[in-house]
Formats: sequence, C-alpha cells, structure tokens
Amino acid sequence: MCQPKNIYLPHLATIEAIVDETPDVRTLRLVFQDDAVRESFSFRAGQFAEYSAFGSGESTFCIASPPTRKGYIECCFRGVGRVTESLRGLEVGDTVGVRGPYGNSFPIEQFYGKNLVFIAGGIALPPLRTVIWNCLDLRDKFGDITIVYGARSEADLVYKRELAEWQERSDVRLVKCVDPGGNGPDFDGQVGFVPNVLEQAAPSAENSIALVCGPPIMIKFTLPVLERLGFGDDAIYTTLENRMKCGVGKCGRCNVGNVYVCKDGPVFTAREVKAMSQEF
Amino acid sequence: MPQIITEANLRNLIDLLVKESTLVVGPKKSGTMVLYEPITAGADLTLEELPRRSAKELFFPVCENILTFKRENGAVKVEDVDRSRFPEAVLIGAPPCDAGSPAILDAVFSWDYQDDFYQERRRKSTIIGIACTKGDDACFCSAVGLAPDAQAGSDLFLTPLKNGSYACAAVTEKGKILIDAHPALFSEGPAGEPVPFLDQSTEKLDLIKIKEWLEGHFEDPLWESIADICIGCGACAFICPACHCFDINDEGSADDGTRRKHWDACGFSKFTNHASGHNPRDVQNKRYRNRIMHKFKYYDDKFGKTLCTGCGRCIRACPVGIDIADILTTINNKSAE
Repeated sequence: MCQPKNIYLPHLATIEAIVDETPDVRTLRLVFQDDAVRESFSFRAGQFAEYSAFGSGESTFCIASPPTRKGYIECCFRGVGRVTESLRGLEVGDTVGVRGPYGNSFPIEQFYGKNLVFIAGGIALPPLRTVIWNCLDLRDKFGDITIVYGARSEADLVYKRELAEWQERSDVRLVKCVDPGGNGPDFDGQVGFVPNVLEQAAPSAENSIALVCGPPIMIKFTLPVLERLGFGDDAIYTTLENRMKCGVGKCGRCNVGNVYVCKDGPVFTAREVKAMSQEF
Repeated sequence: MPQIITEANLRNLIDLLVKESTLVVGPKKSGTMVLYEPITAGADLTLEELPRRSAKELFFPVCENILTFKRENGAVKVEDVDRSRFPEAVLIGAPPCDAGSPAILDAVFSWDYQDDFYQERRRKSTIIGIACTKGDDACFCSAVGLAPDAQAGSDLFLTPLKNGSYACAAVTEKGKILIDAHPALFSEGPAGEPVPFLDQSTEKLDLIKIKEWLEGHFEDPLWESIADICIGCGACAFICPACHCFDINDEGSADDGTRRKHWDACGFSKFTNHASGHNPRDVQNKRYRNRIMHKFKYYDDKFGKTLCTGCGRCIRACPVGIDIADILTTINNKSAE
C-alpha cells in the first residue's frame, strides 16, 4: 500500500526500564522496536511526543531524556486518567506507541557561553531535565548552572537520584525546596515556595538565561521575581504544558489565542507569553 | 449560453453516478430529519430544507478509524487505514453555506502536517453546490461574506430556475469534467428566470471591525452577559460546517482495537482541562468567548479566513437561544462606537 503518510500512526517502542519517581509519578525508558526508527529518531530538548497505551489512547508528555543520550527516550507522567493509568499498568518488555517528536525546542546553541538558571515546580521538572542533562553533557559550553526545584513535599520531588547527583557536582548549584509542612525531619533542602526560594537564592541575571516550568500559579509568582532579579523578557524561557491531542496543529485543543502551542510552541519566551491572550 | 440541466436529468445524474460506483451524498430524508447521506436513487434527493447537520462530515466524519492494532504473543502490530479505498464522491445539493466550508477547512487540515484522511477525501470529491432559495430568519451567510448564490467552494454550481430546471456553472476543472462526462444530461440554452433568493434581513457585518474589536476585548463584560446561559452542550459545534475540533480515543481492548478520531467541542468543560486539574477555560463564558474568538479572529489571524459560513444552524439548534448573529451585530455596533 503506497499512500501519503498517516500522521496519526505511532512508532512502536518497548519499555526497557521503569522508575517510580514518587508513589504516583513514573518514568518509562523506551526503545524503538524498528531498527531504522531507532537509528533515525532525533529530537531537540523541549520537544514532546504522543505516547499511547493501546486500547486506552494517547497522552502528551515532553521527551524527558536529553537528545545527547542516544538509543532511547524517556517520558515521565503522573497517573491521573485512563491513558496514564494504563501506561502505569504496563511492564518492562511491553509495547507502547510513540508519535513525534513534535513542537519547537529550546534554542540551546544560543545559550552557549551563558549562565543558566532552571526553575521548576513539582512534576514540571521533566521538561527541564532534558535541557539540564543536555547542557551538563556539554558542560564546558555554559557558564554557571543553577537549578531551583521545589515540590509540595519531599515525597513529591521527582528524579531524587539525579537531584542527589546534581547536589554532589561542584559545577551545579542545586537549590531544592519543599512547601512549608512538606519537609520531614531529615530534609536537607530549603522550606518555602519556589518563587520565594528563588528570590533568596538570587542568581545573577547578568549574561544569564532563566528556564521556568511549573504549575500556572508558580509561573505567575516566579516571573515578577525574575524581573526583580533583572532578567529581561527575552532571557526567560518557559514551556507551556497545555492539554493536547493531535500534536500536529489540527485538533484545536491546545490553542492559546491564535497560537497553536503544539506547533508554535511549546517553548516560548516570557515576551511571547505576555503577548498572548491571557488564557493559561 | 449556460449549460442547463432539467430536474429529471439532475436525478438521472445521481443514478448514473451511482452506477459508476461513485458515492453520491446529498440531502435526504432520514427518519424525521433531512441529513446529508449516501443517495442510491436520484428520487431520494430532497432539496426542500437545509439538512440538520452540515456537509463537513463527508470529508471529516463524526468518527473515523485512523488505525487498528492487535497484540499477539506479546507483540503489537499496528495497521494503517487503506485510504486508497475511500470512494470517489460527489456531494450534491449543498447550499453555499455548506459547499463553502471545505474551502475554509482545507487551511487547517493541510498546513504543515497533512491530514491525509481529510485530504484524500477532498481529492476524491466533487461538490455540486446549489443557490439557496430556502433560507430562513436564522440565515446570515450574506453577513459573513458569502451569499445565497455564492459559488465559493463549489466545483459545479446550480441555480434553480422558475421553469424547474437548473442553470449550471462549471466553477472548477472538476466541475467541467463532471459535465463533460455526462453530455447527454446537459443542454445549452437560455438561462431563464432564477427562483428568487431569500431577502436576507441581516445587515452586512464589518468583519474587519469585528476582528479589531475582538483583538482589544479579550476581557469584556460582554462575554459574561451573553454566555452565562450557555449550558455547554456542544450542539452548535456538532452541526457547524466550520467547527473542526476533534479528540482521539481507542476503542476495543489492548489486544484488539481501533484508534479513532472523533468530533469534539470547545464548549465542553473538560476540553482544555489539564491533567493537574487546572483548566485555562474554567467557566462557560470563557469557552463561549473562545468560540467567537476562534471563528472571527484566531482563524483569520492564522489562515486568513473566517470560520463561519452563516448557515444559522447554531441559532436554530441552541436550546437556550444563544444567537450568534445577534452577538456579532452587537459587536459590530460596539466596534462602530
């Protein structure tokens, strides 16, 4: 059958590893089954994909692993609905569908020589984790790297083993925090909300880029802090985690005003976000 | 002199097309409704009233399989849909508000990624539009740049004549091919007097001014005042010739099932709901605002077209009486202030 491409057809991938990041957040490491796809699949940090649990449907997540690590991709998600619960029900060796990569990406080459400040909240670390590792894998191309990451509670912090690794590294400054009341007796991070902790950490805005991802309420209170620290709207990047279905600019779900987040985004500068219809 | 086709030959044309294995879709009595449905006999064509739903489903079905999957011995096999088997189709008897919608929808289904399900059906279809003489008070096609005799989107366009025949205009090459393939059914002749169109009471709207007003009034008391009665039933989107939002879901089991693309509506409360529970359009008037914005601003920003053909279906169907033509008139007046 020779016909134009079916844009809704997924690649098949095998679950190679499963990591439970929190009681309800899970990482899947996926390897494409087709040799040619495994060889040719390439993506940039910030792009997303549609992941399917056959029989349940598709869900949209970023590609959480960095493009500098070849041979596999990872996604990270919370089980909250039909598809994500089905994905959680799968085991190592099972098959999932993957469509993508879709959307734009972080212009990492433009960040060469600059200091990077990553700010993430809760389950919004995965979209930045791909960039963090991408940059750490090319460490000498960047200046200081600061990561401010917070969650509601210690249990809600994702990628705990990597947080420990970043904490150990002398070329990364990790500021880890949990909301007041979310800390256990042995918590070695700070207690407070991400915007406040960021303000206290006060990373320099000079020759720096800020990359922010988190729940809308966190973004709302973080942007003014970045402004006070001296970050201009063109030096702040975020990735919009809108609900999507098709991922290819057809289904009309992810739109913010006349912007198709799936096609024009998901990565935007603060200047671009401020110019949109304020419907987040 | 124009080509003329008699009423009897129009029905003969359907019979001939059906014999040629062409799928003929047109207004047809279906239970208590008139719908665009496959017509197998020319006698079934019903041109008395506007079908309940629009003709978009010929190109963008209510629900369609986009792939099938099977799991055997642990291995999943995904199978594409053979779109080469989509039939050659003729849409017949569509008034300008329906014949004109694919020309609007082409933009979204063909920018960047090509939706081959829509595209293949478009490639294989010919649209026979017909000048509208059946309009009613809810119609407002003239207000949004169309007209009861607008040929936009039609390949062949029929104008009903008082003597019962139709004057035919080949608007595109596809239309010309259709006439050339059935020469015995058409004859050259004087046009005769057309059946008069409905005198549309709606005044012309200034779509540019409306768009400018929308640009500056994302936040405006108007939205709450007009849309708080909206019950979010989605009827307006489902019968609209231009609404095209869809969802993708699986049917069947993990072992054997199909993936389907099916209509959705931005009026539904869960449409934009995030996994976290956060919803950017958390109240109904924000969802209704999106409907107006998408049709009269966003789509035009992106694709240079208005996402409305003025068919009036949403006005007739709305269970709480929301009248989009009234809303547009209100905005039109505001924009002139």
